[in-house]
Amino acid sequence: MRISGKALGSLAMGLCAWGLVLHGKTVQAGELGAWRINGFLENDTRVRKDVGLSKERNTLRLEADREFDDLGAFTGNSLTLKLRGTYDGVYDLNSKEYGRDAGGPICLEDTSGLIPAGCVAHGRGAFGGNNLQYGVFNGVPGAGLGQFGFNLANNPNDGMIVLGEPLHRPGGGVAFGVPVRPCDVDSRGCLSGYMDGTENDLRFPEFADGDRLDWLREAYFDSSLPFSSPLSDEEQELFFRVGKQQVIWGRTDLFRVLDVINPVDYSRNNIYDELQDIRIPMWIATAEYRMGPVGALQDLNWQVVWNFDKFRPNSLGQCGTANVILDAGCFFRGMKNLWDNGGTVSNFALVPPILGQPGMAMTTDFGPNQVGIRDVQLPNWTLSNTQIGMKFEGVLGDVSFSLNGLLYRSQLPSLHGGSKGPPAISPFANLLLPVDLQLPELLPGVGQYNTEPRQVPYLIAFDIAFPRVKLLGGSLDFTIAPIKTVARIEAAMTWGEEFPNTLRPSLYSESRVARYVVGLDRLTFIPFLNADRTFLFSLQIFGQHLLDHELEQGLLGQVGMPDWKDNWIGTLYVQTWYLQDRLQPKFVMARDWKAGAYAMQPSVDYLLSQNFKLSIGANVKFGDGAQKFNDCRDCNPYPPFTAYASSGGPLLEAGPIGLTGYEPLGRFRQGPLGSSDKEDEVFINLSYQFF
Amino acid sequence: MKRITRSVLAMFVGTLFTAPALAQSADNVINQAFYPYKAGAPTAAGVNVGVVIDKNNADQFKAVLDPVTYDLLKKGEQPAIKVGPTDSFEVHPKYVEATRQNIGKVKIVGGNLEGYSAGRPFPEQPSSSDPDAGRKLAFNFRHTFSAGDNVQIKPFYWKYRNAATGKVDRTVEFQFNFLNFKHRVAEEPIPAVSPNPNDYFRGIYGKAFSPQDVQDTQLMILNFDQDQKASDGYLYLGFQRRVRRLETSQTTDAFLGSDLMIQDFEGYFGRVAEMNWTFKGTKTLLMPLYRHNEQKLSDEYKQPDGYKFVAMTGKGECFPDVTWQLRQVHELEMTPVDKSSPVGRRVMYLDSQTFVAPRTLIYDRAGKLWKSWTIGHTSTEHHLPSNKGKFAAIYDSFGMFDVQNQRCTTGQFRTEIDGSKSPVRMFNPQFMRSGGA
Repeated sequence: MRISGKALGSLAMGLCAWGLVLHGKTVQAGELGAWRINGFLENDTRVRKDVGLSKERNTLRLEADREFDDLGAFTGNSLTLKLRGTYDGVYDLNSKEYGRDAGGPICLEDTSGLIPAGCVAHGRGAFGGNNLQYGVFNGVPGAGLGQFGFNLANNPNDGMIVLGEPLHRPGGGVAFGVPVRPCDVDSRGCLSGYMDGTENDLRFPEFADGDRLDWLREAYFDSSLPFSSPLSDEEQELFFRVGKQQVIWGRTDLFRVLDVINPVDYSRNNIYDELQDIRIPMWIATAEYRMGPVGALQDLNWQVVWNFDKFRPNSLGQCGTANVILDAGCFFRGMKNLWDNGGTVSNFALVPPILGQPGMAMTTDFGPNQVGIRDVQLPNWTLSNTQIGMKFEGVLGDVSFSLNGLLYRSQLPSLHGGSKGPPAISPFANLLLPVDLQLPELLPGVGQYNTEPRQVPYLIAFDIAFPRVKLLGGSLDFTIAPIKTVARIEAAMTWGEEFPNTLRPSLYSESRVARYVVGLDRLTFIPFLNADRTFLFSLQIFGQHLLDHELEQGLLGQVGMPDWKDNWIGTLYVQTWYLQDRLQPKFVMARDWKAGAYAMQPSVDYLLSQNFKLSIGANVKFGDGAQKFNDCRDCNPYPPFTAYASSGGPLLEAGPIGLTGYEPLGRFRQGPLGSSDKEDEVFINLSYQFF
Repeated sequence: MKRITRSVLAMFVGTLFTAPALAQSADNVINQAFYPYKAGAPTAAGVNVGVVIDKNNADQFKAVLDPVTYDLLKKGEQPAIKVGPTDSFEVHPKYVEATRQNIGKVKIVGGNLEGYSAGRPFPEQPSSSDPDAGRKLAFNFRHTFSAGDNVQIKPFYWKYRNAATGKVDRTVEFQFNFLNFKHRVAEEPIPAVSPNPNDYFRGIYGKAFSPQDVQDTQLMILNFDQDQKASDGYLYLGFQRRVRRLETSQTTDAFLGSDLMIQDFEGYFGRVAEMNWTFKGTKTLLMPLYRHNEQKLSDEYKQPDGYKFVAMTGKGECFPDVTWQLRQVHELEMTPVDKSSPVGRRVMYLDSQTFVAPRTLIYDRAGKLWKSWTIGHTSTEHHLPSNKGKFAAIYDSFGMFDVQNQRCTTGQFRTEIDGSKSPVRMFNPQFMRSGGA
């Protein structure tokens, strides 16, 4: 463990602050002049199985608001400010797992049968010229074969883990080294503007991006313009809220069917923090025409939302941090490193059957600009890149409802590869062939592979994009009186979302998606457990249906879209209250049906005093864990060398035949619950309101 | 022809004699209902202004004490009661006039009021021989003018106290607003908010400002004019920033951990249909009605305009430190229709002049006393200058004493009848979504 002087200073300040908290005079939430101000200090400490400390997050929050006199016809004027600063000490206290000392040299699995140890060090793969154990497949010693191989000086075997290592072994599938240290310590694989956090950025995330001012979490101005309308005897009003804010649509918890205006920071605590704390506020203008009762409607509102901020994707977590949802950040970083520097990929190139059993694969050294992720294409700020939505919401009889429409950018990345990916250098460039196969990869007439970078169908070379999406949806809630239950329903259809698809030469395709949530809430007395207070039972079923799903049975397995055509996630939330609500046991359970993955989070909140709250709990996952899917090793982008002919695949045609592995597409089957299967944690959270 | 002439004459003569008789009857009804102390305040032996009743002399005054107050006094848990002068709590003249216009026109049909426009639905004195007397009183209570047509309670401090130790476990700061959608008499819009397609009768809106675990929680309950219809309820949780629909039949949960259930709000905040009602008689009892400005007030929570809140006293400081006065009250027993309710029965004492409920006794399903519920009321004429002339018996303090668990929740607050502070726009879910009050 290594703790920098700066970190020690921060830690000391933190401890002093806590000392004041624990022993200082209690201060109530209060007012300063016309401002109403609240201040909070929070410590969140988590310990993960087999890892140790995974979070030592200290958060300071200041919230202030004040009202202003009427400005002409504008009434209800107010300004709200919410500031947040976080210091996560895990990068200092457990730097061997998360931080500048994380990772190390790796050995990548090899199932070729040519390597007695069963694994080779990064940089010692086949065709790279650095491992004589591969015999003729080593290529020219020191030089390799064709464009295979890479310069270890640019991509040393240090500071890395094997992709997917926390969850699974490669299992005969692909894997490669992933740098895990902060990007100022190790810049390999860092995606500029997307996943490029330095050590201080990770420690102090709200101060990571000087342009975004994340420490200013929310800053918005409210104003109303009341007016008389022929539609009502009562005044109607136009309500405006302009500034950095969260705009929340929908009626369900946890699932974001309609609640998609703000991106989400999953790096803070995966999916387990309240959305309020992990939505990324954006500069947004909203206008609401609050019509009040109109006709048969008891309440009617029109809302227009204009997100005029520069596009921002969800924060999925940078590889080398504790919360990397779906392990996507590690996949991206490893792939970016492969593209930039080349690298060693497990179990990739087939051993010709004459030398081994069909399907035996050699761990292979690729050169730069051959496979991987070249770039992330974050949309620039232009008027056409801003996002706009409209909501029509009301109450009709006993039913509250909304109809929602939104034009936005997907906050989740889409990998554009193969025929729509970056121009890539063929590893076989400059290799002379004995025969002219009249393939497009070959220079005409001379039997030599094309040396010009080009887009290659089915090639696992990608750019990251964020496609435009159209959403139409709605929600409603109502009471089912005979069973004393409230039902909440939310549904949306999107057009334009993109999904990985190994059937397509570009390795992705669009699909319309229908998502829905049905929630049931019931307050129930269980007198022998709690005589004074009810238990809240909240059950939710989230469903997703891909209308343009593509999946076929190949020779070796399924090919196409790894996402399930239909899948459901169920959650059950139970809470009760004791000791005048000072003691609040809670239990959350979730099940991902198709993934066979479960998560459970029992916890207890206890109010030690009016201002001091303690939460302890555990987060446990179990189930089927890692899943396999076609990984496109068999896509044969450079026939005939990459053909899986020994397994029955075509010699000269590109396209997958169904070879599977955990990486990279199994994550879409295992989902967020299955992907974090090995991330069991216990936690303690202290929260103090000091003003 | 002669027969017809005689009949017409008889009718005419009859009309001449019965019309003044009816008017007389209406005046009597109004006078008995709204001016019961015109001929003098009620009296009881030894119950004079300034007398202090405590455990030592409680037996002497047993006849003018409700049984729980008497028991708590005897045990020394209830602090001494100081007798104040009995005031006539004038009810707004427009409410009285609306009542007059309604006399004899209102019926209970299918559990709902029929023929009711405004004022007190059944102003006649209740009769033990009337099997429906209890329900009529319940409807009178439902349509009382205690909070005017709209009222705001802000600030509103609830203290959760350990009665045994006196320790304050929690302090929650609220704001509450009430609005009558219909049957309005005093403040525009009269007689009703329009449009009102859902036919709501009354709305209650509340927001919690502190402490942190309940901060920004908002609650709204909208009662339908038709009592048989279950209310609409909405809840906004600050940490979710989302409005959730509430199932409103569950009103017996401890509200935000306090010793109050939603059912306890305002004395009884439920539908008439949810209880079986029995009129137990009219009595003269001491009740916590008083003149706010003449009470010993607390220096806690200083307000910019110098307003002071009622102080608390007694065991664990669970009881409003106010004077009580002799009042004519109707005793009403209520048993829940829903047998799964944790409440076995409630006994409510309704002030016959104002129909507010200063005292309610709550028993558990085993029939044991569970909670003693005291809501202190003052006349608007002895409160804020802005309330003067509003002629309502407004809520001014409360103490809910959980006898079984020796806990209590007290309320100190400022009530203001002001339509502009409880506007109609406040009573819809969209108002909650944008952050609320």
